[in-house]
Amino acid sequence: MGLELTVDNLVKRFGTRELFAIEQLQVREGESVHLKGENGVGKTTLMKIMAGLEKPCSGTVIVTPKQRRWWSGRIHPDVIYLHQTPYVFMSKVIDNVAYGLKLRGGSRQNIKIKVKQALVWARLEHLAEQPAHSLSGGERQRLALARAWILAPRLLFLDEPTANLDRHSVSTVAELVSQLLKQGTTIMVSSHQSNRVTELCTRHLLLEGGALHEGVHHENMPHEIDSMMEPQRYAQH
Amino acid sequence: MAILLSAIPAILVGFLLAMTDFPGRWIVIAVFNALMAVPTVVIGLTLYLLLSRSGPFGEMHLLFSQPAMVIGQILLCFPVLVCMSHAAFQGIDRRAWETARTLGAHCARASVTLACEARFALLAALLAGFSRIISEVGCSMMVGGNILGYSRNIPTAIALETSKGEFAQGIALGFVLLLLALVLNFALASVRGKGQLV
Repeated sequence: MGLELTVDNLVKRFGTRELFAIEQLQVREGESVHLKGENGVGKTTLMKIMAGLEKPCSGTVIVTPKQRRWWSGRIHPDVIYLHQTPYVFMSKVIDNVAYGLKLRGGSRQNIKIKVKQALVWARLEHLAEQPAHSLSGGERQRLALARAWILAPRLLFLDEPTANLDRHSVSTVAELVSQLLKQGTTIMVSSHQSNRVTELCTRHLLLEGGALHEGVHHENMPHEIDSMMEPQRYAQH
Repeated sequence: MAILLSAIPAILVGFLLAMTDFPGRWIVIAVFNALMAVPTVVIGLTLYLLLSRSGPFGEMHLLFSQPAMVIGQILLCFPVLVCMSHAAFQGIDRRAWETARTLGAHCARASVTLACEARFALLAALLAGFSRIISEVGCSMMVGGNILGYSRNIPTAIALETSKGEFAQGIALGFVLLLLALVLNFALASVRGKGQLV
């Protein structure tokens, strides 16, 4: 049975301010969704709620088929959320990659093999023994992807995965995301502008004014943003 | 003994205060902060009144015993451990908890991960709690009775030697305490230094 995430009458408020109210949203297996919206509209909050990391004020998020274990609470084992700036544990790169797999159990040999595969996949094998805190922004993003890839998630939330990355890192991340899509992972990417990763998406959502709009995609969005940004940049100097 | 008994419960309280929100949380934090500053003789006096024969726990015959000293030391170091572990957990990035949870850790396992992330701060908390214990005289003197070979410890022995005019003996014992404090702090600094390289 294919994985399906259904959002129903979801409302999030901070105090009296309503961040968003989403009547209905469905994400089906194999989809690649770009969640667009300006800064502060609630993209991160929405994705965290969908991933089970935050509670909505009202409404439901249901992931089917249900695989909840009694101790896991709201977090579905097939759903993984990656932060805009990934958090790396205070250990070596290899230990960070192995973290999720060790939680699931299995033989040491099996874990070792899979970790090695994940490191090769994310092109981090040369950094395996390095402290994770010494990695650059792009390497951290790849580490986060490897940490997720090793657990073979069916639904992956990527929160602004290319923010603050240089062109080379963006294309590497885009390549890894493309491979995840080919493997059948459902992906939802949040970004306020189009980039190499969002170009991989086939479905576009716009979070604006507290509501979610379907199928809004402008190919010239980056240029629009660039033209809007230029005067500000000059104004700063 | 006191630090071993109080470490895990105090760290758990510190964790809960940092990670959960409940009505009156700030009052609990303020109370623990205030308890850190309570003079040791006040703790000793309170415990003395509770454990003395006419006190509510008088029948347990704990006054002037080693268990009474341990109880007093727990009361002294518990607020220090709670406040410092609370600060340690509060200083950890919220993303650490979310990352652990999204990668499949249940709440208890994610808590252990957070404790590992805050290990140096927690180690410092343990050291501060231990320092509070080894540096106190009032409580041990009042509830332990400073009985030779039974409830006399280095600080109470220093107090006694000084009152007798045996300053040389007092200074020698003081150096022992100082050495102990230096060794422990250097050990922590060494572990922290190595940890920062990993």
